[in-house]
Amino acid sequence: MMRKRVNIRMPALGGQGAVTAAHIIATAADYEGYYAVSNPFFGAEKRMAPAESYARIGLEPIFDRGEVVYPDVIMVFHPQVITMGKSYTMPFYSGIKRKGLIIINTEEDLLTDEDKERLESLDVKVLNFPATKLAIDIAGTELSTNMAMIGALFGAIGCVGLDAIEEGIKSRFLKKFVASGGTASLDSALERKFKKKLELIEKNLNTAKGAYDLAQRWAGEQGLEPFLPPPPKKVTV
Amino acid sequence: MQATESVIYNRAGQRVVSPEYLLFEAPRTKHFMTGSEAVKEAVRRASVDASVSYPITPQSEAAHLIGELWVEGYVGVYFRGESEFGVMSEIAGCAMAGARTITTTSGPGTLRAFENFPMWAGTRIPVQLVLMARGVNSPLSIQPDNLEVGFLLDTGCMIWYAENAQDLFDMILAGFVVAEQPDVHVPVITVVDGFFVSHTREAIMLPPDDIALPPYNPYRAPMPVIDAEVPPGRFLRDPFVMKSNYISYATHASWQWEVRSAIERSRPYAKRYLKGLIEEFGDPSAELVFVACGTAAAQAKEAVRLLEDEGIKARVVKLKTIRPFPVEELKGAVKNAKYIFVPEFNVVGWLEREVRRYLYGHSDAEVIGSPRVAGGMTMPAEVIVQEVLKLTGKEVKHVL
Amino acid sequence: MSYKIYEINEDLLDVMPQEIRDLQFRATWGNPKRGVMDLPYSKELIEEHSLCAGCPESMALRYILASLPSPEDTIIVNSTGCTSLVFPHIALHTVHSLFGNQNAVASGIKRVLEWRFPDKVKDVVVLAGDGATVDIGLDCTLQSFFRQEKITTICFDNEVYANTGGQESGLTVKGHVFKMAPKGKQWDKVPFWQIAIDSGCHYVARLTVSSPKRVETVIKKAIYVAREVGPTYVHLYTPCILEIGLNSDDGLDEMRQRDKERFAFFEYVSDAAKEVIERKKEEGLL
Repeated sequence: MMRKRVNIRMPALGGQGAVTAAHIIATAADYEGYYAVSNPFFGAEKRMAPAESYARIGLEPIFDRGEVVYPDVIMVFHPQVITMGKSYTMPFYSGIKRKGLIIINTEEDLLTDEDKERLESLDVKVLNFPATKLAIDIAGTELSTNMAMIGALFGAIGCVGLDAIEEGIKSRFLKKFVASGGTASLDSALERKFKKKLELIEKNLNTAKGAYDLAQRWAGEQGLEPFLPPPPKKVTV
Repeated sequence: MQATESVIYNRAGQRVVSPEYLLFEAPRTKHFMTGSEAVKEAVRRASVDASVSYPITPQSEAAHLIGELWVEGYVGVYFRGESEFGVMSEIAGCAMAGARTITTTSGPGTLRAFENFPMWAGTRIPVQLVLMARGVNSPLSIQPDNLEVGFLLDTGCMIWYAENAQDLFDMILAGFVVAEQPDVHVPVITVVDGFFVSHTREAIMLPPDDIALPPYNPYRAPMPVIDAEVPPGRFLRDPFVMKSNYISYATHASWQWEVRSAIERSRPYAKRYLKGLIEEFGDPSAELVFVACGTAAAQAKEAVRLLEDEGIKARVVKLKTIRPFPVEELKGAVKNAKYIFVPEFNVVGWLEREVRRYLYGHSDAEVIGSPRVAGGMTMPAEVIVQEVLKLTGKEVKHVL
Repeated sequence: MSYKIYEINEDLLDVMPQEIRDLQFRATWGNPKRGVMDLPYSKELIEEHSLCAGCPESMALRYILASLPSPEDTIIVNSTGCTSLVFPHIALHTVHSLFGNQNAVASGIKRVLEWRFPDKVKDVVVLAGDGATVDIGLDCTLQSFFRQEKITTICFDNEVYANTGGQESGLTVKGHVFKMAPKGKQWDKVPFWQIAIDSGCHYVARLTVSSPKRVETVIKKAIYVAREVGPTYVHLYTPCILEIGLNSDDGLDEMRQRDKERFAFFEYVSDAAKEVIERKKEEGLL
């Protein structure tokens, strides 16, 4: 049976921008014409401590909210999620659905043989991908790691294109956005780094695009089908 | 808006339109935002005079955003109070002095403020409280859990429950309209589950932001507004307050009844501006019915879809108002029910109690207070389905 | 000026009770020079009272209501306690809300009235006992000072919870035996007038109500300063003759005695307040 919904769980560390990533993923999917919802884990997240956010993309209105307990996709933003157990669920892939996808920001293979066996039995594909390295190479800062993760997600699952990703990133950085005081201060750190907002957006876009292409090639090699059929008719009001 | 009427503007310079136009007729465009941002957008279009704030997770963002509206000139008075007890008293003062008021709180803040809520109702002020429910201590929790709503049921305030950002936006606007009717004129507590709505970003349809509700007219209130512009309540002869005599008892008792009667009188207005006190989802012929409010209703809707995949018909009756309780609507909606599941985000099952109380003698269905999660847990639709299959004696397959 | 709201419909004049007609024809409206000297000749804004015979708090209430510079535009906010027995008898807009939240309610009222009536002066005056002001309501009282709310707070200090039957309060004198302090109070009377100064009040006075004229001057100063500058605080000794075992005609003597010691007249005026007071004196209003 074809999926009607993709539920995405993003275990990360505080400060990596997983909440922003969820926001951009949902905004981009919404722009593409899908129904989409995003939310953070509901806690008092602190920098470098476990943090998690979620996005849901679907073909029909989404009522479901809260933590994604049974994800189709897991995006691991930091190796420490696995190596140091900085995750709200143990193992980090608990609840993953059959034919799911795991994207890990890492330069080396972090999974044990037992992990691999379990994931293979569920027909889950794993993409090990150096998002932080790519962010430093393209944007010149590890703060764009989340952009690389977004690009990799959409490159791998298909269904949401680069135009929509661009729209998601622009709407996040050009409109006033309130998540928390922490987000605001991170934003200003980013802006200091890039001096200009547009420069920031461009670097972020390039990072996402780089990751998108890489993941798209990988998905082709793996024979991955798009995770969702094309979106329902766009809502135009 | 009729073309023959002269155009009126509020103090923020927005065109004043009828509640019907704002809620039902004005063209709407799609936006993508959190529940907290939806509060801001509702307040922006509500000609609000005053708001008082205090930080507590998860309602703080909504309170910050109302502050931004004050800076932008959409709200007349705004400041941070000293505690929720102080805030709810300050907002009461604002309302007594003739202002349309709104404030927000959560969990422990609600309990800190509690003495104020029956006072609001007894003072007959149409304050709107947006309650973003969270767990109450101890142990400390900042997570979504709506136990506190059970505590509020008999404060004499209307209690409405929004499922998502869209509901919240529409309910805030409708809340002012209904609460300010002269024959109602009691506070309205508009509840959402904290985080599940406040922090979730979703699509929402909004009317333009250059139109707004008609400003509050305090001189339509059933009690004299405290502004020294109208004669004060004349209590000079035979003051009864705190006297030990039958008249004072009867006064207090009849006033308490009157507050409850005012909530009853809100029914026709709430039906009109909320488009009914309940919303039904799923197969109308289903014998398996979820009765729920807020996020529990949202999760139950997802469960109905999964059950359909299992070949089981089910439906959801979402309660939009808890006070007044949609008694007749619920009775009608569960006429053919065999099983009534009441999923809830608290340990005590206050909604199950309410459902049992109002259906007693009116339904042969088995009422099951399940599933019930608390302390911040999510209620995945898969868990609801498992619970339903188990409790109705059906085979529990792996639902994934 | 809103005193027109006290005008009775002509057709109803003959059926209205005498005290209501008196309010229209014999009370002092629209005259900022009104004061305690009017008491014998004009209709008072308080109709009888339900306090104990000879209660100094009833004297205080009469003097204060006679001294309000603009009663027709004054909102009175009170709290629970003996004073809440009196408020139903006052002819002005009065609010009783909860025990201890009076300064919070007053803050809301004042700010909204400024917003609704930017061209009018509306005085908001808080009247509450020592328990309400300094114990249960301490937070709301002080925070309204911190926020520089333009309200006048008047504390009736009878050094005890009288309405509930005579329990120790924060303003009870050390060593005094009251209920809930059966071994005598263990700690000092809270010097709240000083705390009010430190918390941002621009005019603070401590006195007994033994001298009506002095009460009048203090109340007028406090209200004029609150109108223009910020919070003001008046601390009045209104002994509970019942709880300290005095006869109904002993109240005045008790206050005169305390005038010489712990309630000796004390006044604090900030620089901004001085300017207002001098100007009002020049205008003949003080």
